[in-house]
Amino acid sequence: MLEIRDLHASVAGQPILKGLNLTVKPGEVHAIMGPNGSGKSTLANVLAGRDNYEITGGEALFDGKSLADLEPEERAQLGLFLAFQYPVEIPGVSNMEFLKAALEATRAAQGKEEWDSVTLLRKAREACKQVDLDPQFLKRGVNEGFSGGEKKRNEIMQMLLMEPKLALLDETDSGLDIDALQTVAKGVNSLRGPERGIVLVTHYQRLLDYIVPDFVHVLSGGKIIKSGGKELALELEQHGYGWLTGGQNGDNGKEDQTA
Amino acid sequence: MSGDTALNLPEDLKTRALHNARQATPVEALAPLRQDALAALEGAAFPGRKTEAWKYTSLYALTDGHLTARAEGAAPADLPTLSDYRLVIVNGRLDEDRTALPEGVSLGRAARRLEGLTTPFAFYNGAALDDAVTLEVAANTDVAAPIQVLHVAAGDAPSHCNVRLEVNLGTGSRLTLIEQYLARGPVLTNAVTAIQAADNAHLTHYRLQADAGDSLHIGTLLFQQTGVSRIDSYQLMAGSRLRRNDVRAFLDKSGAELNMQGVFVARDRSHIDNQLCVEHRVPDCTSNQVYRGLAGEKGRAVLNGRIHIHPGAKGTLAELSNKNLLLNAGAEIDTKPELEIYNDDVKCAHGATVGQLDALQQFYLQSRGIDAAEAKRMLSLGFVNELIMGLPDQAVADWAQPWLAAELGGRPGADEEAA
Repeated sequence: MLEIRDLHASVAGQPILKGLNLTVKPGEVHAIMGPNGSGKSTLANVLAGRDNYEITGGEALFDGKSLADLEPEERAQLGLFLAFQYPVEIPGVSNMEFLKAALEATRAAQGKEEWDSVTLLRKAREACKQVDLDPQFLKRGVNEGFSGGEKKRNEIMQMLLMEPKLALLDETDSGLDIDALQTVAKGVNSLRGPERGIVLVTHYQRLLDYIVPDFVHVLSGGKIIKSGGKELALELEQHGYGWLTGGQNGDNGKEDQTA
Repeated sequence: MSGDTALNLPEDLKTRALHNARQATPVEALAPLRQDALAALEGAAFPGRKTEAWKYTSLYALTDGHLTARAEGAAPADLPTLSDYRLVIVNGRLDEDRTALPEGVSLGRAARRLEGLTTPFAFYNGAALDDAVTLEVAANTDVAAPIQVLHVAAGDAPSHCNVRLEVNLGTGSRLTLIEQYLARGPVLTNAVTAIQAADNAHLTHYRLQADAGDSLHIGTLLFQQTGVSRIDSYQLMAGSRLRRNDVRAFLDKSGAELNMQGVFVARDRSHIDNQLCVEHRVPDCTSNQVYRGLAGEKGRAVLNGRIHIHPGAKGTLAELSNKNLLLNAGAEIDTKPELEIYNDDVKCAHGATVGQLDALQQFYLQSRGIDAAEAKRMLSLGFVNELIMGLPDQAVADWAQPWLAAELGGRPGADEEAA
């Protein structure tokens, strides 16, 4: 479902991805690990279509369609979902209103049956419960004044409702305590299925104790330098990234920040 | 007034206004007021391009000849009902058949001489009035339900009407007043509303300006807090071909409190100019103003927020905040807070910003499948929603939300331009 070939991408004119290859098939869970500045978040943002994250070479195909040709909303309507590393606060727009607009747009595009407001509210409350988020948060502004952990749970809550074909989780584990991490992992695991692909972008092995991946890739210098099974993550945990990058902790010297 | 006289527009307007005032059918109850106002009009100059207070607002639209005819159109049948109690004023004249007032509020048909009017349009309003509506709220009356005043103006050809509303709140009285402007067609509503509050009076005031896009409005709103009173005023305004609002408040007794909140929206080619002036004339009064403005396409919005703290008005607390959102490069917002302070013992804060939609917020919405135009609409609405959510009367909030959503809905082709 996701086919990335020799992908080159730059952020605000600066090259970050330099020939990345990755194939994700339905039902698979991939983990992309790597040191700070290796291009992990860039990959997630490029795939989701963020402004200033530009594909300069190669291609990224989602269900055979070139992502470069699609607006961010078209990608989402096709079933791509990005759980943000830094979820955005939108005061004045309630979480519920936001979910309603998102689900109306994506469900219509995917030919799924429309949810009336009663159904939507019930589903949203269930999803909140699943990630241990007080349903009162549905009435608040999107992520407005949420703690770091609440924001991450809000991302997973949205993902549960939107039932994407391909979920990209960008450092969803960062800033979570162990209880929250387990809750979030449970939510993600509940979405695993033969039709769905999941890509976890993470710096630490910790998340992979709870969401066990089928494949682990190490990203460094804008390329995948090693791929393997779940045991690769454990090796990385033992030896550190220096084991593969020759002691360099990321080689482009640029903090991989999305803010 | 044809197009070739545009160069002399200020003089033209004055000649026409004086002519109309002198020809107006006499009304006995209004005679002294009209006399005074005519004298003021005679001494006044209509604004031209170089008049500072009208720097951003051209009166060129009036070359269509609005002042040459009185509006005579009929009121639309479906007027919004926001309360059981209401007054309907059509083209400046009270529709007596549709009047319903609660106990404790009496209706008069006269008008006072007003201190604090500044524009020649306000003088003309007084000089050519053929009706005026005065509401007296008896002392110690707590008026349970709001009074809705519908200012309707209608006409098919360029024309105008003069509208005058005065409300006097007696000692210890309490009232919610909803003023709603509904103009249809190329009509200029030349409005003056004056509200006076005595000791311990509390007014909740709404000014909802939902005129049609081709209608024009030039108005003055006066607050005179002669007593230790509280006024909370909520002003929702959409731009139109020409909209000019002068708001002037006098805090004249120590302990008086004024809160004004407003939302103004200028889309397409519409224009709105807000001139606010709060006069702190005695010690220990409080004023708090929060306005949010939004302009898109070729819309233009103006806010000038003057706070004037007179010598001796010690212990004044005055705040003004105006945040604005520009939806695209073709739109324009001009905002200027203006503090004039003549003593040391005051606490004042003011701030004005003009920003654009946040690209990251927009990406976040789009990443959830919401298209760019809808994302912009949601963010625009979110920008002003805080104020709408805070409206104390549910009936008004229920009216305001869809109205605002429609105002912010964008127009065909608007999005390409905004992108």
